[in-house]
Amino acid sequence: MLSRTIRKSILDTRISPSALPPTFLLPYRARYFNNTAQHVEPPTDGFNASQVAPTSSENAQPAESTSSATSPITAPTSASSTATLSPSVKELLPLLAAQPSHYISAHIHGRPYLVTAGDIVRLPFRMPGVVPGDVLRLNRASSLGSRDYTLKGAPYLDERIFECRARVMGTESEPMRFKEKTKRRNRKVNVVKSKHKFTILRISELKINDLESIES
Amino acid sequence: MTVQAIRKATVGQNGVGAFLLQCKRLDFHYCDWAGSSRGMNSFLRHTLAKFAAANPQVEMTVSPRPRRHPVIIGHYINGREKAICVRNLQKEQILEKAELLRDASGEKQKRVTKPVRSINESVRGVWSPYHGGGIHV
Repeated sequence: MLSRTIRKSILDTRISPSALPPTFLLPYRARYFNNTAQHVEPPTDGFNASQVAPTSSENAQPAESTSSATSPITAPTSASSTATLSPSVKELLPLLAAQPSHYISAHIHGRPYLVTAGDIVRLPFRMPGVVPGDVLRLNRASSLGSRDYTLKGAPYLDERIFECRARVMGTESEPMRFKEKTKRRNRKVNVVKSKHKFTILRISELKINDLESIES
Repeated sequence: MTVQAIRKATVGQNGVGAFLLQCKRLDFHYCDWAGSSRGMNSFLRHTLAKFAAANPQVEMTVSPRPRRHPVIIGHYINGREKAICVRNLQKEQILEKAELLRDASGEKQKRVTKPVRSINESVRGVWSPYHGGGIHV
């Protein structure tokens, strides 16, 4: 396990800074100047070893960013990083991966979203600390499937099996809601107004890893 | 034989490969004389340079609009525009409004009840009673 982390960190440093575009083109720079407290962890070497997209600032899902992003060894994520796959999964996962299209039910803050690649997800909240263009890696999922096969987690899947990334598209709002509050025998009508903001994600990538990269 | 258009194999979706910010231009209008522009003038003097440097993909223009309240207008890729009046606001509040315009998609605001929107075909297809194993009674 430890050797895997070390090897990934070595692989990570091999991406030379000249391969990246100039820093002013990187989208997450917009966040730095606003001086608000950042809830999103900077990408650590244990996590973004597979990062190849040059313009992506990759962060763990905020539901578990503080715990698992900093120390993947002691992460409380269902013993997924050390356990080996069961033989039936080893047998059927290549068949699942070979089928043309896939779906995943990814969990964000405990809520499942059944998505395929290219879908738009409107989260029921405004995610703090992200700007449009950021890439989030969703590492919690309860099921992953294709037309004929479904891999179900108990309760969550091993996070080495898949790579699901979502791009932050922006923040949307809704029309103002008006709620009339009345009391009996009283002429006064109180109108409560509310207007919420929502973060929009687009599922940019859904990949199923092959068995060699999972086992190594 | 009828003429048929060439069918597209894929549909472009912003954010799947490349990502384009929907806001393409922000116009800041101010007035030198009026008191409602005080926060806007201090925003333009102190904050706008850093904000513009942090968002190189958005064009920012500043122009005077005398005897009027200060306004920020966002122009979007889909052709729509969104204007926010920032009279009597402090410069921190104006920055929040500018970030709101930057993050917006430019679409008209709609009430959405389903969280996922998709143009892909159903992965598992439509269930059929005539296929598969079936149950023998």
